[in-house]
Amino acid sequence: MSVSSAGYEQRGAPTLLAQPLRWLGHGVNLPLALGALAFAVYAGRAGAYELRLLSVAGAYAILVIGYQFIFSYAGAASLAQSCFFGLGAYMTGVLGATYGFGSEITLPLSILAPGLLAAAVAGAVLRLEDHYFSLATLAITLLVTLVVTQWLSVTGGTNGLSGIPSFSLFGQTVASRYDTMLLVWGFVVAAALLALLILRGLYGRAFHLMRQSRPVASALGLDTARMRFSAFVLSGCYGGLAGALTAHVTHVISPEQVGLPLMITCLTMTVIGGRMSIAGGILGALLITHLQEQFRFLEYYAFIAYGVATLTFLVLVPNGIVGSLEAIRNRLLPTTADPIAEPTVAPALDSHFADQGETLLEVDGVSKAFGGIQALSDVGLALRRGEIVGLIGPNGSGKTTLINIISGLYDSDAGRLTFAGHDISRLAAFRIARLGMMRTFQHIHLVDEMSVLDNIALGWAGVGGAGLRQAFRAFGRNDSLKQARDYALTAARALGVDHCLADPCGALPYGTRRRVEVARALIAAPKLLLLDEPAAGLNEEEQRDLAQRIKAIAATGTAVLVVEHNLVFLAALAERLVCLDQGRVIAAGLPTEVRADLKVIEAYLGTAA
Amino acid sequence: MSILQLVANGLVLGAVYALVTLGFVLVVNATGAVNFAHGDLVMAGGYAAILFGSWIKLPLLLLLPLVALAMFVLGVLVCCVAYFPLMKRPPSTVFISTLLTGIILQNTYVVAIGPEVKAGPPLLQGSNLPLGPVVLSPQAIATVMVAALLIGGQYLLFFRTPLGRQLRAVAQDREMAMAIGIPAFRLIAITFGLGAALAGVAGAVLSNQFFVSPTGGVSLSIYGYIAVVIGGWGSIFGAVAGAVIIALFQVVASAFVPYTVATGGLYVALLVILFFRPQGLFGERIQRRV
Repeated sequence: MSVSSAGYEQRGAPTLLAQPLRWLGHGVNLPLALGALAFAVYAGRAGAYELRLLSVAGAYAILVIGYQFIFSYAGAASLAQSCFFGLGAYMTGVLGATYGFGSEITLPLSILAPGLLAAAVAGAVLRLEDHYFSLATLAITLLVTLVVTQWLSVTGGTNGLSGIPSFSLFGQTVASRYDTMLLVWGFVVAAALLALLILRGLYGRAFHLMRQSRPVASALGLDTARMRFSAFVLSGCYGGLAGALTAHVTHVISPEQVGLPLMITCLTMTVIGGRMSIAGGILGALLITHLQEQFRFLEYYAFIAYGVATLTFLVLVPNGIVGSLEAIRNRLLPTTADPIAEPTVAPALDSHFADQGETLLEVDGVSKAFGGIQALSDVGLALRRGEIVGLIGPNGSGKTTLINIISGLYDSDAGRLTFAGHDISRLAAFRIARLGMMRTFQHIHLVDEMSVLDNIALGWAGVGGAGLRQAFRAFGRNDSLKQARDYALTAARALGVDHCLADPCGALPYGTRRRVEVARALIAAPKLLLLDEPAAGLNEEEQRDLAQRIKAIAATGTAVLVVEHNLVFLAALAERLVCLDQGRVIAAGLPTEVRADLKVIEAYLGTAA
Repeated sequence: MSILQLVANGLVLGAVYALVTLGFVLVVNATGAVNFAHGDLVMAGGYAAILFGSWIKLPLLLLLPLVALAMFVLGVLVCCVAYFPLMKRPPSTVFISTLLTGIILQNTYVVAIGPEVKAGPPLLQGSNLPLGPVVLSPQAIATVMVAALLIGGQYLLFFRTPLGRQLRAVAQDREMAMAIGIPAFRLIAITFGLGAALAGVAGAVLSNQFFVSPTGGVSLSIYGYIAVVIGGWGSIFGAVAGAVIIALFQVVASAFVPYTVATGGLYVALLVILFFRPQGLFGERIQRRV
């Protein structure tokens, strides 16, 4: 699936052909249709050897589609995918060959066991960053490989297991090669559809933001830990299914299918096919399986050629085959902007509080130290509904630290924070966001390849409950994304970015990107909006325009806390100013008072006035 | 074997691992990417030692500069093939490309030299040296001395020379280094070369006692990786300490339990360390910046 498919439909002539053609032009449909056609032609005339190869490739396709969850979507280079595969294969092998169980028992267990292993280690490994995560998953793979090679009585050691029975359900065996191939590819279709169901909507798009920056995603209400957990467990279950099917197809299983060699194959298939695309996963699996087989007679030279070819591919075709085809298609058939979204106002969050005029946010005695540096000491401030407050102070005075603490990205060392009647002092960022606090960041974090409308829609993902449950509930429909786009259109209009809804964000001018980010924070009608240096990099006209729009937002009852250096911008905007210096509040009150305050002038100019 | 002798053996192996890790962490620092072909470069050093040893009838110790020179060239080559074309991509892409480079190297060894395990020439000939309760071979003494020399030389190069200052600048912030006129690309190539030279010397040193084989490098890559993670990402001396810890663990543990159990224990220990200290044993916790 493509990141850039923005959800616009082209208005063609209402001929009989228009609809199928439009369908073909969209997403992965064309490659899938062509692939299915080629597949049907090839499979019809394939011999026993080719059928077996096709079946193995199908199992690998499931392995790769599963791997895409954690590798491509969650952005964590797991090296445990082959271990999940091996676990599934050995589960099927041991239970089937040694104990004679049918697939009605072995298959669910082969899927469940790796899923459970993933869930069991997830807590420990998923909080690790980048390379640490890769190494931890590698260690798990190596450990399982060791167990498999050493536990002779059960696994057959380095010789592996043979005599694994064919797939059978309650005594009915799938015996012929052709039927086995159909069975495997039936599973491929099911696995691909399930992945599509999970990833095509708002949830799948949320992964792109999460992968880019986890703090930003969680400040928008996304439970990033849970997203990573789901992706990891899903990859485990898919790996187990792939292993079980392979064991049924080849009837033998060896430790090689647990460890690094298979892991490298899996990575290669993912990269060559196209890491973001289900069709790419299938294509990569088919291609590499057949290439490896074709060049087997060359023995070790084949591995050299395989390495060189894949490396060349990695360099020359960075987005994989399907990614490149998509790029070509997007150039030939640009999506015309014709939004199907209807502007709808999102419901206010936690509405029982909405009509109370009391203090919305209260920060009391908050302190924070980084190592030996006291970034904040005993800071207090309060915001009422609909109020615009400016937070000023020289560089390094603790402004950003303070709003990171308010939005829950950092924990404070001391003090208490209350928001909308909830104690949020120890609450996770995504929970605070879901209570109705949204924010922007000093550096713009948008998904460059995704359209403006969808970037804004991501602000609704966490609040709107995008997740596995919602994805499954929406079976056959895609309401969550449509609803979020409807809301996004409203937010886009409020910020004046509705002229470029279909454009990918990466191509837009800086000022527009700023406003898209504010629109994203606004989509869920937050009670409190935190803006970190919104005017930075904007020209004066853009600044005036933004100030007007922020005022309009506040007029609807949303409180706004603006961190800013630009006092001219703030003077026209804020009703009150709070000035920080060296982590302390040195002045607070009306803008004219604060700007005339000697301590403020001293802090900014550095010398006593 | 006495526990002291075990520790001494562990330290000798640790010296070898330290050399392996030193090259590994150099490349990590310069590029932010894991070079999973590093272990295979170690094996190349072992093969080079065997080759040069058969041509030139001198103690291997004197041939080490030759090995290092040849490996430097190979390292620059690997950099040009597997890193430069991919340097703007996510680290996982570079990781895959080095895995592939490793596969190419391993199978080239099989094709060119053969799949069997080979032993290299000793660094020095001579009789064993008893030191109190501990007996050290000339090989062991030379190994430790070579490692100490190179680790010290690395320190001097990095912290006492203009080249080292530039190398560190590139490692810290490539864009900034380029902005002030440091030829970053050339320095990255040099770093890869130095890393490979260190790998080569490590391979030459270990070829006599621990043997070389086409796939023998894989576990060395993993040990290097583990050492860097234990030592705190990018810390040179943390990584060297990590390497010595791994070697001590392996030698001492496998005196009491089978080798495979010791290896398994190493992986478990790694997971336990990561669980309690996600930033490594010697690493500092970094607050993520938004």
